[in-house]
Formats: sequence, C-alpha cells, structure tokens
Amino acid sequence: MGNFLVWVVWIVAAFACLASAVGVVSFRNPFLSALALIGNLGSLAVLYLLVSAEFVAAAQVLVYAGAVMVMFLFVIAYIGPRQETPWAGGPTWQTAAAVLAAAAIFLEVIIAIGLKAGGRLAHTEHVNATFGSPGWIGRLFLTDHLLAFEITSIVLLVAAVGGVILGAHTHHAQDAEASL
Amino acid sequence: MLGPGIAWYLGVSAFLFGIGALGVLLRRNPLIVLLSLEIMLNGANLALIAFSRHAHNGAGQIFALSVMAVAASEVCVGLGLVVAIHRRRLELDVDSLSELRG
Amino acid sequence: MIAGAWICLFAPLAGTLAIALLGTRVPRAAAGWISTTSVFVAFGGALWSFVDLWSKGGHNGRTSTAWTWLESGGFKAGLEVLVDPLSTMMMLVVSGVSGLIVLYSIGYMHGDDEERRYFAYMSFFVFSMLLLVEGGNLLLLLAGWGLVGLSSYLLIGFWHERPTAVAAAKKAFVMNAFGDATMALAFFVLILHGGSLAFQTSFDNAANLSSTTVNLVALGLLGGAAAKSAQVPLHTWLPDAMEGPTPVSALIHAATMVTAGVYLIARTHPIFEFARTVELVAAGMGALTLLMAGLIALVQVDIKRVIAYSTMSQIGYMFLGAGIGAYANGMFHLMTHAFFKALLFMGAGVVIHALAGEQDIRNMRGIGAHLPRTKWMFLVASLALVGIFPFAGFFSKDSIISATLNLGWYGWIFWVVALLGTFLTGLYTFRLFFIVFTSDGEVRPHHETRGEGPWTMMLPVSILAVLSLVGGWIQFAPIWTPLTDWLAPVARTLDVAEPTSTQEWVTSALALAISLAGIGVAWLLYGARTRRETPRLPALQRTLEHKFYFDELYDAIFYKPAAALAAWWRRDIEESFILAAGPDLGETAFDTGRGVRRLQTGLLRTYVFFLGAGMAVLAVVFLLVK
Repeated sequence: MGNFLVWVVWIVAAFACLASAVGVVSFRNPFLSALALIGNLGSLAVLYLLVSAEFVAAAQVLVYAGAVMVMFLFVIAYIGPRQETPWAGGPTWQTAAAVLAAAAIFLEVIIAIGLKAGGRLAHTEHVNATFGSPGWIGRLFLTDHLLAFEITSIVLLVAAVGGVILGAHTHHAQDAEASL
Repeated sequence: MLGPGIAWYLGVSAFLFGIGALGVLLRRNPLIVLLSLEIMLNGANLALIAFSRHAHNGAGQIFALSVMAVAASEVCVGLGLVVAIHRRRLELDVDSLSELRG
Repeated sequence: MIAGAWICLFAPLAGTLAIALLGTRVPRAAAGWISTTSVFVAFGGALWSFVDLWSKGGHNGRTSTAWTWLESGGFKAGLEVLVDPLSTMMMLVVSGVSGLIVLYSIGYMHGDDEERRYFAYMSFFVFSMLLLVEGGNLLLLLAGWGLVGLSSYLLIGFWHERPTAVAAAKKAFVMNAFGDATMALAFFVLILHGGSLAFQTSFDNAANLSSTTVNLVALGLLGGAAAKSAQVPLHTWLPDAMEGPTPVSALIHAATMVTAGVYLIARTHPIFEFARTVELVAAGMGALTLLMAGLIALVQVDIKRVIAYSTMSQIGYMFLGAGIGAYANGMFHLMTHAFFKALLFMGAGVVIHALAGEQDIRNMRGIGAHLPRTKWMFLVASLALVGIFPFAGFFSKDSIISATLNLGWYGWIFWVVALLGTFLTGLYTFRLFFIVFTSDGEVRPHHETRGEGPWTMMLPVSILAVLSLVGGWIQFAPIWTPLTDWLAPVARTLDVAEPTSTQEWVTSALALAISLAGIGVAWLLYGARTRRETPRLPALQRTLEHKFYFDELYDAIFYKPAAALAAWWRRDIEESFILAAGPDLGETAFDTGRGVRRLQTGLLRTYVFFLGAGMAVLAVVFLLVK
C-alpha cells in the first residue's frame, strides 16, 4: 500500500515536473514561463522528499522558489510585457542542430547510466532516520565539506557585489548611445 | 526504498537537462534563457540527490545545496545584466546582442 | 734566394692593399707610382733569387714553406714558394715586363676616372701571376690560376659602363672557369690516387697511375691550359678581351697570363710524359691554333685584334714546342714573345692614345709620319715577331719548328704547318705595319705632343725595343744553349725533340726565307707605291671574318639551349608556380579565415550550441573508450 502510494505521488510529481519544464521553454509570455518554473521547482521538491532529502527539499522551496523566482518575477514585471515568437530565432540549421544536440545529450545520459551503472542501480541502500535531516546536513557542512561551505559563501558575496554594480544607476545613463 | 528505483529519477533528471538545453539554444528572450538554465541546473540537482540517496552519501546533498547557492548568484548577476540592457534601451533579444560578431 | 722569392710574391700584394686602403686620400698619380714601385720591387726580389740560384749552380730548386695552409685528413698543402730554374725565369719575365707595362699605364691611363682602381687591379694581377709561377705545390698554382682569371675579368671589364666590355669580361671568365674546372678535376684524381699535390710527390705518384687515369689527369690539365692560353677550341674569349685598356691587353693577354698554359705544361711535364698522347694532342692543338689564328688575323681591321690573333698564333707555337717535349724552346719563345708582343701592344697603344681612342686601322692611314719613333719601335717588334735575324723571334721560333722533325709522320705535318705559320705571320704583321705606319693619309694626332707621348709611355717602349733585339741572343741553338741548360734540371728536353744541327740550320734558313716571302707579299699588297689588289675570295673572306664560325657554333651549342631552358623555367615554373604561390598562399589564408569567421556569429546561442554539441561528442567518445 505504501509503495503504491509512493508510486502514485511519484508519477504525478514527475509528470508535473516534466510538463512544467516544457512549459517554461514554450510559453511566449515570460511571466507564464516563470510561473511554470515555480511549478517545476515545487514538483522537484516533492521528488526530493520522496528520496528522504528533507532539508534540500525545504531549501529548494525556500531559496529557489521563494527567493530566486521572486527575483525573476520582479525583473519580468520591471521589463514589462513583451511578446515574442519563441521559435522564430536564428537560422534553421541552428534550430535543427540545437534539437539534435539536446536530444543527443539526453540519449547519451540515458545510455551512459544504462550501460555503466547497470545492475548497480538496482539496489539502494537503506538509510536511517537522520539521512537528509537538517542536523545531519549541518554537521556535514561543518566537518567534511567545510571548504565547499566557505567557497559557496564567497561566491554568494561576489554575486551580491556584482548585482549591485550591475544594477546601479550610472551618472552618464543619459547617453543616447545605445552601447553596453 | 519505496517507490521507483533510482534509475527513474535519473531519467527525469536527464529529461529536464535536455529540455533546459533546448530552451537555452532556441529561445531569444534572455530571461527565458535564464529560466531554461535554471531547469538544467535543477536537473543536475535531481541527479545529485538521487545518487546521494542511492549511495547513502551526504556529499550529493551538500553539493546540491552548493549548486543551489551558485544558481542563485548566477541568476542575480544575470538579471542585473538584463536590467542594465533594458536601461540602455537595447532590444532584449540574444540574436541582436551580437557585438562579438567576427 | 728564398727571401727574394717572398719579396717578389708579396710586394705587388702590398701595393694593391696600399692603394685600396689609401683610397682617395692620395692623388691619382700616386696610385700609379705605388703600383709601379711594388712591381719593380718584385722584380728586384726575382733578380735576387735568380742571381742567388745561379751562383749556387742552378740545379737545386728550394721550396720554402711559410705555414701549413690546408690540412684535411691525410692531405696537406703548405703555403710554399719554389725557387728553381723554371720559376725564377718566369718570375723575372713576369715582374720585369709587368713593371714596364705598369709604368706605361701611368701615362696611358692618365686622366681616367678610376685610375686608382686600375692600378690596384694591376698590382693584384701581378701578385696572382707570381703566385701561379712561384707556388710550391699544385694547389697554390691553382689558386694563382683562379686569381689571374679573376684579375683578367676585372681588368677586361674595367670600363664597366661599356656593355661590350662587360660581356667580354664575362666570356673570358666563363671560358676560363671551364678550364679551371677540368684542372680541379685532374687535381682531385691526383689527390685520390696519390694523396698529395706537392710537385715532386705527385710526379712520382704519376708513375703508378693506370694509363687511363694519367691520361685523364693530363687531359684535365690540358683543358685548363688551353682555356687560359686561348688555344682552339677554347680561344674565342681572347679577341673579345681586347675591350680592356691596351696596357691590360699587353700585360695579361700577351705577355703573361696567356702564357700560363705553356708554363703549366712545362711544370707538370712528368705527368704529361706518362700521357704522351695527350701531350701530342696539345702540340696538335697548338699547330691548329697557329694556323687558324694566322688566317683570321689577315682580315682583321681592329689594330688590337690583329695583335690578339697574333698572340694566339704565337702561343700555338709555344704549345707546339711544349707538346712535343721541347720545353726549353717553348719557354724561350715565351720569353721573347713577352718582349715583342708587349712592345707591339704598347706601340699600338701610343697610336690609339694619340688618336684619342681610334682603333680601326683604316682610319689610321698617315699617322706614321707623325709618330716616327713609334714607327721604328713597331718595326723592331714586327721583325722580332716574324723572326728575322738578328731579332729575338728568330732564335726562339726556329728552334721550335726544327724540334718537330724527329717525331714521325705527324712531326712532318707540324713542321709544314709551322713553316706555313711563319709565312702568315710575316703577311699579317707587315700588313698591319704598312697600313698603319707607312701608308699615305691625312690622319694626324689629336693633340700635338712633344715626343709622341709622355715619357712614362715612351721609356718602356724603348726598353722593350732593345729587349726585342737582344733578348734572343741568350740562346742560338745549336751553337750556344745556355737557356736549355739552365732549364734542364727541371724541364729536360725530350730526346725525340732534339733536332740535329743540320735540321736546325735547314729549318732556320727555310723559315727565314718563307717569312721574308710573307713580308714581300704584304709589301706588294699594302706597302708599295703601286699597290696590287688583294685577291677576291668572298667565301674565304667571310669565313675568316667570322673567325671560322666558332662563336656561332658555341652560341648554338651552349647559349641557345641554356637560354631556352631558362626561359621555359621562368615562364612555366617560376612565374606560374612559384611566384603565384605567394599570393595564392595569402589568398588561401584569407579564404580560410573568412570561412572560420562565419562561426563567429556573435550570438550567444551559437556558442552555447557548440558547447553542447562538443559535450555530446565527448560523451560519446568517453563512453566508447571507457
């Protein structure tokens, strides 16, 4: 019964994830694309929960869907409404080639996993209750993966500074010259 | 583990990555490109989490958290760029932003 | 005596260097005097060596090595001078006659734009010639050989703005280079089989060579000698070499350089004696040349060319003498010839100088009345050339002719040809004399000079006139032969080339009679008050005027194919292929760049696409490999 339920949840979540991903890429209105991405992030959070990564799921919703997407929506609102013909850009050979490349990557990943992992993927380990818990994550951050923790914080700092600089009003923004 | 095996998660992850790649390559609005990029990153994240669960190794989740932080930073800078372009009254179209044309 | 030899060798070189280094800091005349002094110092050194050697009996030559010049493997060649009877004789002749001619040049070249260069070249030539005759081994001889060729080129083309002079210089150099090449090949064979180029060693080694080898060596040496001495078939450069100044013609192309071939045969006679056939070929070449040149000289109208062909003819006599084995006779004629031929050229130079450059004898009629001294000198020289007793040529030429009698059937042919040559000599020489100096005409010197020319010109002329008279008195075969005895230790006359006294007397008488006959015919045709008409033989005249068509022949064999090949190469390979390659390479680079540039669309999507595609490919590779 539990298994069945998990399967159902999984299928729904996976479907939502994939559908929203397609939506992000397809919508003409960027606002709708952003909303689709929020849906995507939500369904991903559900998938994370299904694999007992609770902290990551919570972080996903809080950070990604909560902060990043809000930022996106702010900017989309600031830019204003605009429509575009999403598939009309570039020469046709690029379109075809792009589709091919994407498909190739997808297939290769599948094949790679299938070929290499093979039997080893069949058996997943049992995990105890602390797996995926915040305390467990925190302990890992501060012991085994301290370097990653610190570097990530520096990256965030740099991004913040960059964002401020990029967004600042420049005094000669009155230039009619449209150069970047 | 209850539910589908890791392979299914990995399949979803691959699909997400592919869709994201398609979006990056084909869309003209830089905002949408950034969104597609986010999808790709999420696909990678999913794979990381899945493998973390499979191998009972916390490194995967740590890495996924770092990816999330980096994605956030990158979106911040990217959006700053988009805003700056918009302020300069340039077209928000990656096809026309081709000053690097040789 | 060795010190004398070193002084003799290096004094002219010092002269050249002095003139070259002092450059325009000294007046032009000073260059001439430096050069003259250096050559006379060389003569002093030669005299010293000669007297010293003579006082010691004159048998033993001495070689003195300054240092080892070249050492390679087992082969060694030193910088050495050789003082022996043959080399001292040549040293005296070369430095003495050169000194007189350089003195003469001071007057002749006065006022020329580039006098200093001229005298530097002249001194350099004297040095080269002395190196040739004094060199203690064959390698130094070859070095001197090449250097005289170079000096000849520089001096023929001295008036380098004249295209004919430049062409003549090139022609001389190229033909001489051919001879140099054959000589070098001969030396290579000698080194290969003997390992040494020292005189005595290589002569001794020649005994051990196979018949073919020694014939090849001798042939190579003969090639060089024929080219340098302008014998048939390598003779066509000598008449053209008259483009150089007259003193140059006197020195290089009469008295010294062209006689180097005869010296070579005399010096390397042991090798030639092992290749007797080749030696006789040399004699045959000499006989053929003396006849041909004598015939051609009959129709020449340029005063210098007549004398040039005369030189060719007389060297033919020397080759004949040396070829049959009468080395001393050949060298004796070399010495007397230097005197009277230089005198002839210098006399012609006086006339040319007085007429400001005119060289056509048809435009010289009547000048004799205004240049009496020159006329008499020229007469002396002509009589010496023709071989009239008691002038120098009589003693030297007749002994060569009589030496041919004991050789066999070909000896008789040589004898007849040589006697015919004396007739021709008398004819063309006195044709020249009568036309230029005794005919009635209106030609006057361009400017009146006291004494016909500056003393620097007239003094050497006078000295040579005296020598042309008495120079032959040093030997009167078969009565009195000091020269043959002097040269005997190094160049002993072969027995087969020793005539009996009867043969000598008969030949001399015949030669004298025939020469006088030649002079008589010339007088009848050109000199008498009532001149007879020259016989009209248009075909023969044309052949002689074209110098037996040798130039045309060589043109067709060598020049035209080479020019055609060069033109083809230029057209089809260089222009269409190599020259186009440069621009084509550039074009290709441009096109490639243009093609690659199309990748730089400036669009982000393109670059990301390539990233993705590249990653996909790499993933495949990775999968396959792992």
